[in-house]
Amino acid sequence: MNCPLETPENAQVLLDYGTRKLDAQRTAILERHMEICPSCREFGAQQRALWEALDSWEAAPVGRDFDRRLYQRIEQEVSFWDMLVRPFRPLMVRRGLPVAAAACLLVMAGVLIQQPVSSPIPKKDVAQVESVQPEQVEQALDAMEMLNEFSRHVRTDGQESKL
Amino acid sequence: MAERVKNGMGGALAALDFDAELMLRVKEGDGASFGVLLEKHRSSVVHFLYRMIQNHAVAEELAQEVFLRVYRSRSTYEPTAKFTTWLFRIATHLALNALRDGKNERSQERLDDDSSDMPARQVSDRRPSVEQSMVYQAKLDEIRRAIAALPEKQRAAVLMHKYEEMEYSQIAKVLACSESAVKSLLFRAYETLRARLAHMA
Repeated sequence: MNCPLETPENAQVLLDYGTRKLDAQRTAILERHMEICPSCREFGAQQRALWEALDSWEAAPVGRDFDRRLYQRIEQEVSFWDMLVRPFRPLMVRRGLPVAAAACLLVMAGVLIQQPVSSPIPKKDVAQVESVQPEQVEQALDAMEMLNEFSRHVRTDGQESKL
Repeated sequence: MAERVKNGMGGALAALDFDAELMLRVKEGDGASFGVLLEKHRSSVVHFLYRMIQNHAVAEELAQEVFLRVYRSRSTYEPTAKFTTWLFRIATHLALNALRDGKNERSQERLDDDSSDMPARQVSDRRPSVEQSMVYQAKLDEIRRAIAALPEKQRAAVLMHKYEEMEYSQIAKVLACSESAVKSLLFRAYETLRARLAHMA
């Protein structure tokens, strides 16, 4: 047998020996090797001593109310979910949820159609306003003055005809 | 049900995993099966977490979280691995997170006191003398310190190997590494422990 300490892939054999997990056949082979290898003998003895030392670390018993606290937390989670779902339960029970959802969608769509979209003025439009020429403004003012003149004439004609 | 487990895990070994079968029953709404799983694994999960964190109250709190996660995951549970592999993967994940979050800040301090956070040991049958108790306590403290000083992954590997008697392959699955990496972790961890606790031999 190759010395396990010199072949890392075999080092597990020494660990298993120290933890008493090695099968009888391999234990016999290793023990024969240990008779002529003081390093492995020392390693095996130290590992067994460590194993026994670790055995003395007993864990404390679990608290008596562990299960009660756990089931309480589970219950709380279930209750919380129940509380969230409760307002919608009648809808679900009557299988009216899809109808209610469709009605909500219709109402929302109606509201959106009624309201003009108040989107910000695109820069393009702003540029168009800015590009209005003074002549165009003058023309518009002339047109308004002409309309005023025309309406004044219409009113005076009407009064003359009444007389 | 057993057939489902067998098919889901593919093999005779999988079929033997009664825990997975119980978990599938929980998935189907059988609360009593969850109780059986809890009864079976409560102690090992709490003890593993206690030895990882070295604070009894935090260990119990984390163990509660482990079982809560198991319960929450019931609807999506698929028996792709041994139940205990899954269980200890959750426990290890929570323990490593707790250690990194510093939840166990007090645990190192506790090593210096008389472990007042632990329930009293049942030693009434043997009635050790005060001296024996002190020797035992000193020995225990040294072991706890030595384990606490190990890097987190080595610590988890040692605790699963030594106290939970898990196979290398199962530890590898829990720690999401190769089997050879686990052997290497264990070899280094035991080497450190042997050096630290050599005088106790």
